[in-house]
Amino acid sequence: MRRNLRALTPYVYLVPSLVLLGAFTYYPILRSLYVSFFDWNLFSPRPVYAGLANYRYLLQDPTFHLVLRNTLVYVAVTIPVTMALALITAVLLNERLGWLRDVYRVAAFYPTMVPMAAAGMLWVLLLNPSIGLVNHYLGYLGVRRIDWLYDMNWALPAIMLASVWKNYGYFMLIYLAGLQNIPSSLYEAADIEGAGFWHKLRYVTLPLVAPTTVFVFVVAIISSFQVFDLVYVMTQGGPGDRTNVLVYFIYQYAFRFGDWGMASALTVLFVAGLLVVILLVMRMVERRVHYEV
Amino acid sequence: MWRLSPSPTRPWPVVLLVVLIGLVAAQPVFAQQLVRLTFYYPVGVSGPLARVINEMVDQFNAEHPNIEVVAVYTGDYDPTMQKVQTAVMGGNPPDIAVVEISEFPTLLAMDAIIPLDEYLAQEDPSYFNDFFPAFWENSRYDGKIWAIPFQRSTPVLYWNKEAFAEVGLDPDRPPRTWDELAEYAALLTKREGGQVTRWGVTISGGWNDWLFEGFVRQNGGKLIDFENRSLHLNSPEAVEALEFWVKLTQQMQVAPPHSTWASTPADFVAGKTAMLYHSTGILTFLKDSATFDFGVAFMPGKKSYGAAVGGGNFFIFKNIPKERQDAAWTFIRWMTTAERAAQWSIASGYIATRQSSYEYPQMQAYVARHPEYLVARDQLQYAYGKAMSPAFQRVREVLKRALDDATAGRMTPRQALDGAQRQLEMQLRQWLQGN
Repeated sequence: MRRNLRALTPYVYLVPSLVLLGAFTYYPILRSLYVSFFDWNLFSPRPVYAGLANYRYLLQDPTFHLVLRNTLVYVAVTIPVTMALALITAVLLNERLGWLRDVYRVAAFYPTMVPMAAAGMLWVLLLNPSIGLVNHYLGYLGVRRIDWLYDMNWALPAIMLASVWKNYGYFMLIYLAGLQNIPSSLYEAADIEGAGFWHKLRYVTLPLVAPTTVFVFVVAIISSFQVFDLVYVMTQGGPGDRTNVLVYFIYQYAFRFGDWGMASALTVLFVAGLLVVILLVMRMVERRVHYEV
Repeated sequence: MWRLSPSPTRPWPVVLLVVLIGLVAAQPVFAQQLVRLTFYYPVGVSGPLARVINEMVDQFNAEHPNIEVVAVYTGDYDPTMQKVQTAVMGGNPPDIAVVEISEFPTLLAMDAIIPLDEYLAQEDPSYFNDFFPAFWENSRYDGKIWAIPFQRSTPVLYWNKEAFAEVGLDPDRPPRTWDELAEYAALLTKREGGQVTRWGVTISGGWNDWLFEGFVRQNGGKLIDFENRSLHLNSPEAVEALEFWVKLTQQMQVAPPHSTWASTPADFVAGKTAMLYHSTGILTFLKDSATFDFGVAFMPGKKSYGAAVGGGNFFIFKNIPKERQDAAWTFIRWMTTAERAAQWSIASGYIATRQSSYEYPQMQAYVARHPEYLVARDQLQYAYGKAMSPAFQRVREVLKRALDDATAGRMTPRQALDGAQRQLEMQLRQWLQGN
């Protein structure tokens, strides 16, 4: 009897988080899955069972294809750029630079503290084709006027630019913590062996921040697949859907088009896709990373 | 003498208690007398129009002690519709809302609004007949009237007179046909080192679907037939209209391929474009901001002049108590007197919705000084009801995408419009098939 109670104890502790996760994560996921099999929109205000019709529609919808491509391009470009920038800055700012170091650290981290919507508005102004600072300075370099957010080719890169600026500071902070966990004895040993900056970076630093890199990578994947705010504030998916990304597309279906069935089908595809990607990544890196020093 | 310590003989605590209970008990009585209404309103164009609405609402509340209207600013038209949609689906609709006129079939499909014939029957017929007839076209369904015109517009062409004079054009003669528009735009476009510093003409983005509808009307076509439930996005008239846009943006490069609704009025004021297609609702903003002389003209014609009316209408919602619907009508009736329509027109540049508004001395004095306020009204004789369908937000998205693709040179006008037609036939199939 007593033993049984003991066995129950951990579950009692888990109750609060299970309730919250259940109510706000697991239940909505299952519910989306359920609703995704229904026609539930402005034309049929009461859900009508439709089988896989929503999914079939999406698979042949050119807008969905475009949205998918935008999202993948966004993810494929912003993640490596943000991570590389974060790592480089972290390594540099881990060196002894005196008081300048703190100044730079604050400067690099600052964008992370700006609210996303404010950051978006800021970039809308910076990127304004006629009065924006970006074009102004590019002009000195002889670069032709770029229409940024109004140009089908440049709108997505412009949002990626804003996103890198906004996010790399946070990853830099995580990298800095990772770097400071590397025992100084390893660098002393490397010094004795006569290793220079590059060798230390290649053979000590990089392998030992690998666990941090995995963490940063996974967080970056999740957050970049979820990009929404910048799109909402800067372009509303335009011009011509060239900056429309998955989460924004879901939002459009749910709240603008009032099509809950389709929005649910999209959500299911989104969650499933993200899970697969994360599992692949975890499996891929698991064997290659040393977690212990 | 009062003592400081509590005494059972002291009456004050008891009196206080009785008063308090009385106040609490009386509360529902006050509450019953005061009907509180939630009013969602958008501001579709730049300018301090939210303030004007709030002043009008305050005045209404002061004059009607039994009604309190709470005005809720809900962003521009698209966010307003989203908020209405969410509120209705959540079972907590607003009492009154001004919604973009093409959303009317969507509100019908959601079973969200009530017909207003019963209220109109209480009014003198002169009330109904005084509105410009074109404004009623987006209010009719099933032989009933469901919406009252409020902030109504047609798109117009603004032209910078100084720029016209600079390139040797008659500053008082705007282009009247598509051909003239193209010819003038070519003259007015300024280039420095291969870069455009001033566009000849800008067809504002964001609501370019609405402007495009005007071009199609000028060419004798029609995008959506609401009565007969059919789509004509790729009709020869529409394709030809889009070919003209592509000619301006790609072949001649005298118009920017893309822009936004909010930014182009500022571009015009800053002299970055010599001519501008936009709503008449920005007229007051332009007048207050431009440092040069400018004119307002009908949109140039092709087969004829033509425009689709635009703007927002008043709706009263379903599933709220009758007394609130009645109070909502009182408010709408008050907001749409001829005098207030005149006042609103002067404040914004929107067309006064009622013909007799233009007889008010204040209005007459105003338009005598600023005849450009009459252009959009006079254009009404060539104006039609705006294209509408259920789920119009999708139509807008798909059509805008086709327009953007074509003006960017990514697709031919025919490809773009064929694609849009196909996509919408799929998305609206339930409505098109008569469900």
